Amino acid sequence: MNAYLPVFILMIVGILFAGLSFVASGLLAPRKKPTAAKLAPYECGIVPEREPPQRFPVRFYLVAMIFIVFDIEIVFMYPFAVVFRQLALFGFLEVAAFSVVLFAALLYLVSNGALSWGPAVILTRGMPSRTSESTITRISATKSTDGQAA
Amino acid sequence: MNHLALPTVSYAALAPILFLLLGGVALMVLSALSRRPLAAGTVTGYSVLIGFGALISALAEYGHVNGAGPSSTVASAIAVDGFSAAIAVTVSVVVILASLLSHGYLRRMQIDAPAYHVLALTSASGAIIMAAANDLVVLFLGLEILSIALYVLAALNRRSAKSEEAALKYFILGGFSSAIFLFGIAFTYGATGSTNLQVITRTLGEGVAAKPGLLLAGLGLLLVGFFFKVAAVPFHLWTPDVYEGAPTPVTGFMAAAAKVGGFAALLRVLLTAMPQLSTNWTPVVYSVAVATLIGGAVLMVVQRDAKRMLAYSSINHAGFLLVGIVAATSAGISADLFYLFTYSVTALATFGIVTMLAGPRDDDAGIDRLSGLARRHPAIGAAMAILLLAQAGVPFTTGFIAKFSVIEAVVGHGSIPLAIIAMASAAVAVFAYLRLVATLYRTEDIATVDLGYDDSLTDGPAAFAIGLSVVVTIFFGIFPAALLDFGRTAVAHLLP
Repeated sequence: MNAYLPVFILMIVGILFAGLSFVASGLLAPRKKPTAAKLAPYECGIVPEREPPQRFPVRFYLVAMIFIVFDIEIVFMYPFAVVFRQLALFGFLEVAAFSVVLFAALLYLVSNGALSWGPAVILTRGMPSRTSESTITRISATKSTDGQAA
Repeated sequence: MNHLALPTVSYAALAPILFLLLGGVALMVLSALSRRPLAAGTVTGYSVLIGFGALISALAEYGHVNGAGPSSTVASAIAVDGFSAAIAVTVSVVVILASLLSHGYLRRMQIDAPAYHVLALTSASGAIIMAAANDLVVLFLGLEILSIALYVLAALNRRSAKSEEAALKYFILGGFSSAIFLFGIAFTYGATGSTNLQVITRTLGEGVAAKPGLLLAGLGLLLVGFFFKVAAVPFHLWTPDVYEGAPTPVTGFMAAAAKVGGFAALLRVLLTAMPQLSTNWTPVVYSVAVATLIGGAVLMVVQRDAKRMLAYSSINHAGFLLVGIVAATSAGISADLFYLFTYSVTALATFGIVTMLAGPRDDDAGIDRLSGLARRHPAIGAAMAILLLAQAGVPFTTGFIAKFSVIEAVVGHGSIPLAIIAMASAAVAVFAYLRLVATLYRTEDIATVDLGYDDSLTDGPAAFAIGLSVVVTIFFGIFPAALLDFGRTAVAHLLP
């Protein structure tokens, strides 16, 4: 049990530090209420003129994710190409299996419309049809009403 | 031109993993190529067939190991032994039951059925890889295959904000725990010079660990990663939220598959790679087991939601499984194997019934909703009562045998206080289970809310799976010898 003594001491010190930090910040922090200027996003001193865009079409993320997957495939391909002859048939079959599985994923993505831009297909029965276009329309709609209010 | 030394691969030994993984990939391709969405019934049937394929190949592997003894394959990265075969059998049964239980739900909620089944099959293969891994890196791969599919499964009900919240919580916390686990592997590698479990144990046996501090840090980080995965107190905080938010059939699958995979890997790493360090890890596992037993049981009593209550019940079960690890004998391992199998079956079926009751949008599993259920639907009420009593550990159910054998193992090991704490926590848990059973059989205040599950009552596959689970629970509760022997033989052929 003696071996764990340093761990316990460190744990107690950690808890004390965290607790005392809260107490100190409660005692020392200035008690002033936040104002609108304080709550505004900080843009290097410039007064923000318009709302930052809040939502991106999800397709950008999808394409980025798919890109990473196939990027990784290439990362595996290069070292394989270097030792292609030493690995012989076994290595070829293993990499072929890997590529086939990735290709299956690509098939799934294409069939689900993950790579098609433009008017979206409804991916799943019963899902609300939310497309990149509808999202953009919604964002611009909320923006323009905000502008009117301001 | 000299060829590299290539590993020999025994595909027969990998068959359960390959069945599930390739079955999942093939289903993904089929769903992509078919002109119209695949019928839910076809997909469920396919998934059940794949599960049966994995089950049969796992039993074949078990039989093979019984004759030929344990071995390893793929450059000793995968263990071919009775233990991994027994876990593969358990996971295959989980896949079959989970496919049947999800059928009506996916149709009712209009969730893309192939997506669920592909992810469930992949996740299950990860659980088997974890159990069969004889190398820490392969173990980590299995852990990630299991977990990443589960993160997506938790978000499957995309119209529910709770489901998204659950997935995000699980993903972020799971990512953290995976990173901690990976750190543990790195430290262990630094201290012993290998990630192979046999080489690690040989190095430890020779007492030449380069840096004992590094080794202990590695052990500690590995344990944290495992404890998170199996939801042991104090690493359990994600469990109730994720179990509550995830689609209910997914919760059942998660409760079974993730726990089986996590405990199988934990058992193998602690008992075959690091038995020499038992003086170091026993106090840790001991205290976590005590916290898990007490925390799970006490917090279960105060829940108002059936899914949250069952989440804490699964935490309590994790405590019992940790008790089996403290025992650290072959009796303890075989008791844990029995426990994992029977717990998976009862937990899956219990969540299957909760699926039926959670309303048309799967958003309300309040305990009040179950009030008087057995009066209106005697069969469902009786099944639920039996499953709850089995989880409580009432005699003539598998739950009793499981709890008894775990406690027997730990008493044999000499940890009497832990056995007493385990029994006390079981007594507290019994109160929560019995209160729920009493709610089922209440005569006044019968819930009159529109359950909206007339459709799911005629959900044949789910009803069949629940009935099967009840039969298994009672049959092996009365005649446990065959299943106990199965576990003992499996442990006798554990790769040392």
